[in-house]
Amino acid sequence: MAPTENDIAIVGFAQTSPDRRTQLTEADLVLHATRAVIADTGLDKSEIGFTVSGSCDYLSGQAFSFVQNTDAYGMVPAINESHVEMDGAWALYEAYVRLLQGDIDVAMAVGVGKNSNSDPSTLYTIEFDPYYLTPLGTDTWSLAALQARALLDSGKATERDFADVVVRNRANAKSNPYAQIKGDYSADELLAADYVRNPLRRHDLPPTTDQAAAIILARGKRAYDFCERPAWITGIDHRIEAHLPTVRKDITTSVSTRLAAQGAGVGKGPIEVAEVHAPFSFQELIVAESLGLDASTEINPSGGALATHAVMVAGIIRMGEAANQIIKNGKNRTLAHSTSGPCLQQNLVCVMEGDQ
Amino acid sequence: MADTVQEFVFNLTFPFTRTLGSTLSTFSSALAQGQIIGVRTGGRVIAPPLEYDPDSAADSGTDWVRVGPKGTVSTWTWVPEPTNLHPLDHAFGFAFITLDGADTPMLHVVDAGSESAMAAGMRVEASFKAPADCVGRIDDIIAFVPAADPSPSEGAGEPFAAPEENDITEMDAYCDLTYVDNASPTTTMWAKALMEGRIIGQKCPQCERTIVGPRGMCSVCAIELDESHVIDVPDRGVVSNFTIVTPVQYHGQTETEPFVRCSILLDGANAVIAQQEILGITASEVRVGMHVECVWAPANERSVQDIDNRSRGSGGDAIIGWRLTGEPDEPAENYLNRMM
Repeated sequence: MAPTENDIAIVGFAQTSPDRRTQLTEADLVLHATRAVIADTGLDKSEIGFTVSGSCDYLSGQAFSFVQNTDAYGMVPAINESHVEMDGAWALYEAYVRLLQGDIDVAMAVGVGKNSNSDPSTLYTIEFDPYYLTPLGTDTWSLAALQARALLDSGKATERDFADVVVRNRANAKSNPYAQIKGDYSADELLAADYVRNPLRRHDLPPTTDQAAAIILARGKRAYDFCERPAWITGIDHRIEAHLPTVRKDITTSVSTRLAAQGAGVGKGPIEVAEVHAPFSFQELIVAESLGLDASTEINPSGGALATHAVMVAGIIRMGEAANQIIKNGKNRTLAHSTSGPCLQQNLVCVMEGDQ
Repeated sequence: MADTVQEFVFNLTFPFTRTLGSTLSTFSSALAQGQIIGVRTGGRVIAPPLEYDPDSAADSGTDWVRVGPKGTVSTWTWVPEPTNLHPLDHAFGFAFITLDGADTPMLHVVDAGSESAMAAGMRVEASFKAPADCVGRIDDIIAFVPAADPSPSEGAGEPFAAPEENDITEMDAYCDLTYVDNASPTTTMWAKALMEGRIIGQKCPQCERTIVGPRGMCSVCAIELDESHVIDVPDRGVVSNFTIVTPVQYHGQTETEPFVRCSILLDGANAVIAQQEILGITASEVRVGMHVECVWAPANERSVQDIDNRSRGSGGDAIIGWRLTGEPDEPAENYLNRMM
């Protein structure tokens, strides 16, 4: 395609090694990811017109941690910078919107999360409704399990279907050098494990990961300065449902994913590869159905969020992996999805296409 | 080195008092009396009530409805090993429970004894704390327990007359989180040097700035710096900035009188170390341009137990403070308006 000045592409993606427990700080991780993506695209950091990161103070346990993280950008002279308390996928969305203003050509989006400092079974209690959920110690695993049980009782899936999702993602992860959990497993051996939160077993839950990732976006013809075959963003949309899962009409489907998919134009053509951000195994089934994908789409060749799951980073990695399918792997039309909030509350869908 | 801490355990505790607003005040005031209520809005009863109809964002209004105390489980899970934040200290269930008279479920705890007792469709009823212990918070209900009599709740679905003024308009909300951070390689280098009575910086090979305390990177050039970039920096320099803090007696504050905290530009360094204490003079006597030198704790009394990744640049208990050298001041204008 001949890009117009309003067409925006992903032209570079880098991620750090996904560690269960790193010795590095979040600022160190940001430095490694941004240095790698800058080297990969061959740009000079002075060419970046806008930098935006996604991270969460509660993960590292440090107020204004994102301010310290900006050390890694080299902010002399001062740069144009922003931050979202969301996964880096939402930082990418902000960078995309910023580029649409038309006065800059290059932007960088970053996601970073040192997840190992805290305990996921307690940390996320403060993410939820402070009146009705937090005083009960409502945890993210339990909320996911309530959604999983509803899905089972609806007859749309079985526990073996959950295990099959895990088996496929872990097998896919074998070819991903940035996957933490990988290997050949059988559904039977997985199903023999005890429940952590009935009906979810440990393998249905995401791993704990420390990681950062960075993406370079470029506008119009500038994209070709950094990349031979840019991943043009042809549609991106983000929808939100009620924060309190109990007031949603049906938690076995994802209305916000369906609407975001429509908004991003998923159905306008075949999707060859979809990178889906499903932290819990069964959520991949809900998201795939809500995206309207069929068997012709390959889902999570990277191993997805079950292989590597740094909160604040797993979503932007889906963006990078889906883009790399176009940049490096010859695919023509791919999809990236990211989620946030309890029981798939928020969903972001991005469709990318390569030049044909 | 035994004196250098490898992991730091710290707690974040936020003791908030949240105001409730009219809808939640009505709910909380009724709950403290043992009555659960919902609100009828958009043709359905939402319980517990929200200020807005989640479908239309319209004000939910004040059409209060009595719900429960019995209800029906629609989905459930089981927590075999509760955390310190969970309300029960033994295995229990979480469930969506649609209370009699309500159209939407509430999430709560089910104390069912065993996982095998849990099922969609099970009838449960609320078990409240003793009236004197109820404060109008959702955990006034200790748990839902299997209903002895599954018949419908008496009075459920009937209107609830709210008082003119609610008894409860605030709630205590706390979070108590434990973190375990580990010392980064740069933090460890800094702490080890302090134990040896040395102040170190890292010199960037690109811009040749010396940054103290080391950050593991040049924050101007955005390149990584490591052990090979470490240099010793003199333990003397000039006050480049200061502030006088009048202490507010927040939780944990030990200071009672106004005190000064200075930034010091060490000789040969390009970045200040901040938050330093000046010894031997009163706060009002501190000036930009003063020459100071480090006062080290005796080697056998030094400690860097408090130095973690969040406090890099701090001297911990290795540095007692800084004293005047007696040299004439440098011109203040040479030190003002520094960026770092």
